[in-house]
Amino acid sequence: MVAALGVEVFKLQRRVAVWVCLGILLLIVILLGYLLTWLVLSHPSPQTAAQLPRGVTPEQLKQQIYPAHFVQNTLSGAAQLGGVIMLIVGVLLQGSEYGWGTVKTLFTQQPRRLHVLAAKLLAVAALAMVVSAVLLAVGAGTSYLLATIDGARSPFPSGSTVVKGFLALWLILVFWSWFGVALATLFRQSALAIGLGLAYALVIEGLIFGIAGQFGGDPVRQVQQWFPLANTSYVVGSFGSPSPVADAARAHPYRDATHGVVVVLLYCAGFAVLSGTLFQRRDVTT
Amino acid sequence: MAGDDLVETRGLTKHYGAIVAVDRLDLSVRRGEVYGFLGPNGAGKTTTLRMLLGLIKPTAGTATVAGQPPGAPSGLARVGAMVESPAFYPYLSGRDNLRVIAALTGAPAPRIDHVLDVVELMPRAGHKFSTYSMGMKQRLGVAAALLKEPDLLILDEPTNGLDPQGMIDMRNLIIELGRGDRTVLVSSHLLSEVEQMCTRVGVIQKGKLVAEGAIDELRGEAGIYVRAQPEDQAKAVLERILGADAVKPDADRGFRVTADPGRAPEINRELVAAGIGVFELRPAERSLEDVFLELTGGEMGL
Repeated sequence: MVAALGVEVFKLQRRVAVWVCLGILLLIVILLGYLLTWLVLSHPSPQTAAQLPRGVTPEQLKQQIYPAHFVQNTLSGAAQLGGVIMLIVGVLLQGSEYGWGTVKTLFTQQPRRLHVLAAKLLAVAALAMVVSAVLLAVGAGTSYLLATIDGARSPFPSGSTVVKGFLALWLILVFWSWFGVALATLFRQSALAIGLGLAYALVIEGLIFGIAGQFGGDPVRQVQQWFPLANTSYVVGSFGSPSPVADAARAHPYRDATHGVVVVLLYCAGFAVLSGTLFQRRDVTT
Repeated sequence: MAGDDLVETRGLTKHYGAIVAVDRLDLSVRRGEVYGFLGPNGAGKTTTLRMLLGLIKPTAGTATVAGQPPGAPSGLARVGAMVESPAFYPYLSGRDNLRVIAALTGAPAPRIDHVLDVVELMPRAGHKFSTYSMGMKQRLGVAAALLKEPDLLILDEPTNGLDPQGMIDMRNLIIELGRGDRTVLVSSHLLSEVEQMCTRVGVIQKGKLVAEGAIDELRGEAGIYVRAQPEDQAKAVLERILGADAVKPDADRGFRVTADPGRAPEINRELVAAGIGVFELRPAERSLEDVFLELTGGEMGL
């Protein structure tokens, strides 16, 4: 098991595609979450100023990109975008084994199949941990830099908030990457797994509950509270919104963070069990 | 399992829906031999090897490999395998791919350079697998199979896709690897290849083992080839001397007779004495190709 984990980490370190994906993620989170917001609010056009809610100034809005709110700001951007990227990474890491036929090479060595899968899941989880830490660290650094440039005073949040933010982001990224591994194991390839995974992440759940919510009200929310995207949003929402003009749903999630964490953990466990069962029992036909 | 059998199957069967890929296969590979698993494309060779390695589960029947059920880690520890095309990580070098295998099998690091040497891949060991030619990929596959110093080496069509020189090199390598105590199970659809490399052969056709034995056993008794005219008179003389069952007409308007080649002078004398013109008289061995064609009803590889 330890050897299998070492192998997975070794392969991960040398997989350029993974680092390209993560580099893009980091770039987008910083660019969209901090730099573009700062640029737009530092030099607001008349249209931008006109679109602001009554009584809200660009300087007030800028608070969201300063150190005091860096956890919420990074989380709100990285949870969704990072989730999508980690889904792709999870699919690539598992689906390529089928595509290249290396799953056959691994299975004809000594390790047990479940050890191979467990090592893969742990390696992906470790990667998600590193990504979470880097995103928050770069978010903190960028927010500090921007506040310094603006000469604004904005203290960093407490250590416990930062740790909670890190754990929340890690959990969400693990959820998405394990979802990717499970899809790739199910379909024994990358293309279909990425397609369906992205469709779910970007369209399916949001669309279903978006439409149903217009007619169903609370009963629909009762159902929605067991779905993954809703629960990741409960976790992120529990940190509050970095923006003074947050929408009501973000300001008051339907369920609390504990519910969100438990349900997301259950999904993670479900993906591990599903992947393990398929990995262990199915014939290797590639 | 018999003490000397490293691979033994009993009634091994694999169905894919209505298709029977392998049908009640009884196979035995003895310790120390180079066993050729011969059959036309689609006969069930790869499916059988996949079952032996635990990659797919049989529909029925049993198998033991190195004394263990297929796929058992303790059995796999003694088996090196290359099934179908060699599968490695394209973004890793040949050496790094072997590092991965070595880590999983517990093979010591110096062994990596040793097996790279054996397959003569050392000069390209640091290059990415994706840049390798087919021959280099096959050699890396063999190197990976050798990493754990296996008692049993399972190679599935190892010369597939190789150029003529690559095929000769691979064949020589397998012959070399088969020396000593190591057992090699090599599948092929190439008769000449099996004939040169293997000590024993199993012939599979449409999922069934149609023959198994030493190559000499399969070739059967030695014979004599006779071409003489008039043919009908020659046939009558041969049947009188050797019996009707021993004389079989050949496609070249001659006869293949089952008899010790030492009786050739006697046969010649009798034919000449009967006024028959003898055009050709020579020892005739059945080639493995003849045997194979007979067993598979004319379906064969190259």
